[in-house]
Amino acid sequence: MGNFFPRWTNWLPLKLAVCGSFVAVGVVVGMTYYFTPKYTRVGYEPTQPVPFSHKKHVGEVGLDCRYCHSYVEVSSHSNVPTNQTCLNCHGTDKGQIKKDSEQLAAVRDADKTDRPIEWIKVHKTPDYAYFNHSVHVNRGVSCQNCHGQINEMTVVKHAEPHSMGWCLDCHRAPENKLRPLDQITNLTYKPEDLNREAFYASLKAKGASIEGMAKVILGDKPLEKPPTDVQGLVKLAEGSFGKTVTQKEVGCQLKSQWRVAPPEDCAGCHR
Amino acid sequence: MKRIWHHPEPIKTGRRYWRSLDERENTPDFQARLGREFDPSISEMSEKDRDNSRRDFMKLMGGTAALSGLAMVSCRRPVQKVLPFTKHVEWIIPGKPLLYATSMPRPWGASPMVVTTHEGRPTHLQGNSLHPLGGGIDIFAQASILDLYNPDRVKGVTRRPKLGESLERELEDGKTKKVGNAGKEASWDQFQKELRIWGEGWIGNAGAGLAVLVNESSSPTQARLLADLVKKFPKAKCYSYEPVSARNFAAATKALVGDGTRLLPQFAKAERVFSLDCDFLGNDWQTEAGVRDFMKRRAPEKKGEAMNRLYVLENRYTLTGGVSDHRKPLAASLIPAATAALAEEIGKLAGDSALSQAATALAAGVPADIRAWIAIAAKDLAANKGKSLVLAGSTYGEAVQALVLGINNALGSVGSTLEPIKADISVCRSIEELQADLKAKSLKQLFILADSDPAYDVIGLKGLLQQSGATVTTLAQRSNLTTKFAHWTIPAAHYLEAWGDARTSDGSYAIVQPMIQPLFGGASVIDVLLAILSEKNLDPAKQGASEPGTPPPSDPSYEAVKESFKLAAGGWDEEKWNVTLRDGFLAKSAAPKASATVNSGVIAALVSKIKPLAAPAADSMEVVVTADSTLWDGRYAENSWLQEAPDPITKLTWDNAAWVSPRTFRETLKLAKDGDMIEVTVGDKTLSLPAMQCPGHAHNSITIPLGYGQTSVNIVGASNGPVKSGGFDVNALRTSSNDFVLAGAKVKALGKNYELGITQDNYTMEARAQVREGTQERFNENVEFAKTEGMDSHIPPNLALYKGRVDRKTEENPEGFDYENNHQWGMVIDLSKCIGCSACIVACQSENNIPIVGKDQVVRGRVMQWIRMDRYFATPDDVDRDPTLAELDNPEMIHQPVACQQCESAPCETVCPVNATVHTEEGLNSMAYNRCIGTRYCANNCPFGARRFNYFDYNKRNPLVEKRVPIFSAITGEKRNLYAGPFGEKKPQEVNQLQKNPNVTVRMRGVIEKCTYCVQRLEAAKINQRRVARDDASKLRVAPDAVKTACQDSCPAEAIMFGDLANEKSTINKWKESPRNYQVLKYLGIRPRTSYLARIRNVNPDMASVETDRVVKTGEASIHNI
Repeated sequence: MGNFFPRWTNWLPLKLAVCGSFVAVGVVVGMTYYFTPKYTRVGYEPTQPVPFSHKKHVGEVGLDCRYCHSYVEVSSHSNVPTNQTCLNCHGTDKGQIKKDSEQLAAVRDADKTDRPIEWIKVHKTPDYAYFNHSVHVNRGVSCQNCHGQINEMTVVKHAEPHSMGWCLDCHRAPENKLRPLDQITNLTYKPEDLNREAFYASLKAKGASIEGMAKVILGDKPLEKPPTDVQGLVKLAEGSFGKTVTQKEVGCQLKSQWRVAPPEDCAGCHR
Repeated sequence: MKRIWHHPEPIKTGRRYWRSLDERENTPDFQARLGREFDPSISEMSEKDRDNSRRDFMKLMGGTAALSGLAMVSCRRPVQKVLPFTKHVEWIIPGKPLLYATSMPRPWGASPMVVTTHEGRPTHLQGNSLHPLGGGIDIFAQASILDLYNPDRVKGVTRRPKLGESLERELEDGKTKKVGNAGKEASWDQFQKELRIWGEGWIGNAGAGLAVLVNESSSPTQARLLADLVKKFPKAKCYSYEPVSARNFAAATKALVGDGTRLLPQFAKAERVFSLDCDFLGNDWQTEAGVRDFMKRRAPEKKGEAMNRLYVLENRYTLTGGVSDHRKPLAASLIPAATAALAEEIGKLAGDSALSQAATALAAGVPADIRAWIAIAAKDLAANKGKSLVLAGSTYGEAVQALVLGINNALGSVGSTLEPIKADISVCRSIEELQADLKAKSLKQLFILADSDPAYDVIGLKGLLQQSGATVTTLAQRSNLTTKFAHWTIPAAHYLEAWGDARTSDGSYAIVQPMIQPLFGGASVIDVLLAILSEKNLDPAKQGASEPGTPPPSDPSYEAVKESFKLAAGGWDEEKWNVTLRDGFLAKSAAPKASATVNSGVIAALVSKIKPLAAPAADSMEVVVTADSTLWDGRYAENSWLQEAPDPITKLTWDNAAWVSPRTFRETLKLAKDGDMIEVTVGDKTLSLPAMQCPGHAHNSITIPLGYGQTSVNIVGASNGPVKSGGFDVNALRTSSNDFVLAGAKVKALGKNYELGITQDNYTMEARAQVREGTQERFNENVEFAKTEGMDSHIPPNLALYKGRVDRKTEENPEGFDYENNHQWGMVIDLSKCIGCSACIVACQSENNIPIVGKDQVVRGRVMQWIRMDRYFATPDDVDRDPTLAELDNPEMIHQPVACQQCESAPCETVCPVNATVHTEEGLNSMAYNRCIGTRYCANNCPFGARRFNYFDYNKRNPLVEKRVPIFSAITGEKRNLYAGPFGEKKPQEVNQLQKNPNVTVRMRGVIEKCTYCVQRLEAAKINQRRVARDDASKLRVAPDAVKTACQDSCPAEAIMFGDLANEKSTINKWKESPRNYQVLKYLGIRPRTSYLARIRNVNPDMASVETDRVVKTGEASIHNI
């Protein structure tokens, strides 16, 4: 019997195994990076039929989100405005701002022909998931949390991955995102800008107890002399969170006082 | 260690409930199916098949893998567009449903309802609870939304040549071609022109030759316009008809009470009801309010609470018979005689000698046992004078109706349980007069403005239409037999597309308002009548034309409805009109009460005209023609939900069959299996159709439902699809449209079998004591009897270490459900109130985007409806005695709807390998469809058989169409679209798609689905609550009883209660505390959230001696329920 296998084949299985494991690791790493919404969705920036700039309208002119997306607080769907909304400012019989602009030709055309402008969808919820705008914006989640710094975008782009894991991050720990209801559409909001005393006073005015709020600040730590008024609370908070208001502080207070309990079971989004 | 659950040994002492004869006789076939999800004979492959298919699979997979490399290159993110409205639309908020109140016009009065619309598309119907008669809606009303989205609706005007006329059509190259019988497309403008020419003639000759045929209708506007028509053209003629009509009762009322009065049954006041083959809870001009009022009095909660009592004589089991306290099968030929016997007894007891004398001669034909039975019932009725009610089936003649009216008069019911109300007098003539006029060739233009299909359901009209020389114009929603013969076919608008009005059964004015522009440009009856009166142009192009900036011209039909409203409301009142539009009806507009004196002297003369029929015998059977529980008279033949909704009694889908008693089936006809073909001959007419055994059917009697075997319907009800369905046309046996009982039928077996899609053995439950019931006496002895029935009397303690997540969270039970902060959903179904009508099945289908699967898949046990309506019969078990056919003569019947029970400790959840079905904090057994990989372990482990699997992508692949793949079909003979693989037609069904609920996932192939208590409604309610509460944490809980599931909303009997168990104020908690409350399969320890209330029957103790045919006595059936 001759040797069917030459000597070099002795090492072949090991070589193959080593190479194979490199390839496998490479594929796994590649897939987790390139095949997840973080890569596939973030940065999607299609050219729209009308060169509408959010940067100009929101960042510079200072329009509120709800001027155009008027039903965001009542409906599951945040509507894209009708032509009439555009023409309130740009219409020849209304505001007359840039009424003859070349860039607005498509809007005027749509108004004349009654054929809607075909905007390209940037943020898309898959068919098997249900998302409701109104319940988020009414319970302390800002537009900016999901859509990014729209006020700085000339062309709207996909800023966050909108993957299931990303949704659940917030559903499991909403305190990292919650903000006061009057700051929902403030796209430049920073918790540091809040006045601590005013914040606690407003919570108290809504019926929150000093004791309850103190408990949230302290967590499990015991305190000998609990605060009795807002000033006491402010002092307590300064001790725990430092000079300026932090997101953790705002988020935990709001979560506790509003009893924010986002659904974490399947039925919340899949039905 | 694997623990094998052994079902407890049945206690072999008494009675049992079963769903099919195979189950009762425990045939090997049934044994094989028991406990399995699907029929083994079809869901399993032979060894050879398996080898081959594995090889094919590997081949395909290899090819796919190779090709997928290519496909990846062209993988791009699909671009989606957002199209906003160009101008704001009043009321519409994108993403929010908009509700409108309207009503569905029915021959006997409107069904008040609320329509859910999403961005202008109506998607779901439910009862209007604001209306005094509102509540649920029946199965036809519930399913009617699908007729709107029937892709095969008539879409344009068609012109067909008259006999001997030559009609030409222009071809593309400028030449002309003769038009055959198929007709040619025409335009509204052409029809309008033709109408104008006719109109000029009518003005000259006072409308001679003009005729209009309508269905019976309660619409005040339609009645007014018909009256206007006759006024404007005095020689014009109007006719009305209904294939299954109550005109005999109306005729009897006219003869005995006088014109302009209608008698309305008041079930709320009736203590004792006797039905002579009147299916008043099912197909006999049933109203939702009637069902509600009647069933309300059958669910006692306390000891000694009064109940009504129902006696039924009928030839076949009906829903009414199933609810009854006492029932006897009696051939329909003998019903007139039985009526007379009852009249005689009542006449004697109530001292109305005229009545008993009038009835004596006819009553002689009644068999002695029936006579004795009737005598006892009559005593009970007479003892409740003024509170009893007798009803006869509307298909029985004027004399029977007159006798019944006489009985009611003698019982003092007229004015109490039979309320006389004022009714309008119609200008319409009868269908017989139309036939006579057509025969006399005196009509020139006939307008058929009917929902039904006169050429199909009026015997002999087809030939007359062809020969009369009249130009026939038909307004049709679907192409039917009439459109085949009509010279002009114009598309009809659905009632959700046009303005109209109607009266509910009590005479209240109800509005019918359009939800959507006619999808295929149809016109309503009102539109056409206005066009005949030349007050409206039917051409849509000429209607909306107005200069920009000026208001559109008002629609004459809208103005006509407003005019009728003005008359109904006693003057124009803008505010009242707006309130009427909002509520769907005009409050306090019920017809005024009339006084009625019954002239019983006429009865004798009417009765003497009856020719009594002999009792049917083996060589001379009777054929009974009835309305169908799902297709009615055939007008719903193209509604696939209704075609697939199982008949409540036979559980048959997609077909009709000859229903016969098991004894006749086996002993007289010598048939072996359901579906064996028979040939029925009545006189010179014959019909071949499959027969099936129906326990409780009268012997030598054959029941055949109407509405099937239509040759001209499109794919849904077609008998020529890839799988034969669509049933058999009983009209082939009838000689007149008034024939509902055909005597002297000869029947012979053909020795062939026809496959029937029967669902009664699908998803068989291996349970004990699943239905529980008792007599009122038993209930009064021990109100909680149902709680300890069957295994529940001695449930062993649960020794398992892992008990699952159950019950309220406490210190001892930290894993339990949080009742403090969460809603906890639960459901109770009251079997005392459930009549089995199956409206809930269709409501669920409409709400939850459940597809239909077609007959072929039903036969394979793949029906998708989430609610299964189980129908049980009760007989003795086979321990003390051998089963005999006599037990099947009159067994008791009971219905039980079963859907997912949302078990707290659910067996399905523990076996899912991918966590696609998990429990929520609120006690729902939720489904993440996108996660499901289709192992079907859960369906296998569900003890209720509540889970359904999508074997195909039914939403994209139409299961009803035929697909011939070249070569493949030629070799295999396979022409079913579902089995055409990649060559099959696979696309979203464009029109049907408009009906889909946007808040529910449309499931694809390979996914399990099931009831989730309408989770989309629960979530919507919670979201709405949070949206409104904002930063106020005290308002986060949904108000008690604020959410209703779709089945609960549709239930006319109000038998379903759903709500938040964690809220003390919810009505559900009262129901859960009812002494009749029990859980099915409680002994498994799965703690279902859905529970049932036992049925109570109010049995007359005197009856015991004469009810020898009922081997298990009524209501006693479940005492030793195994």
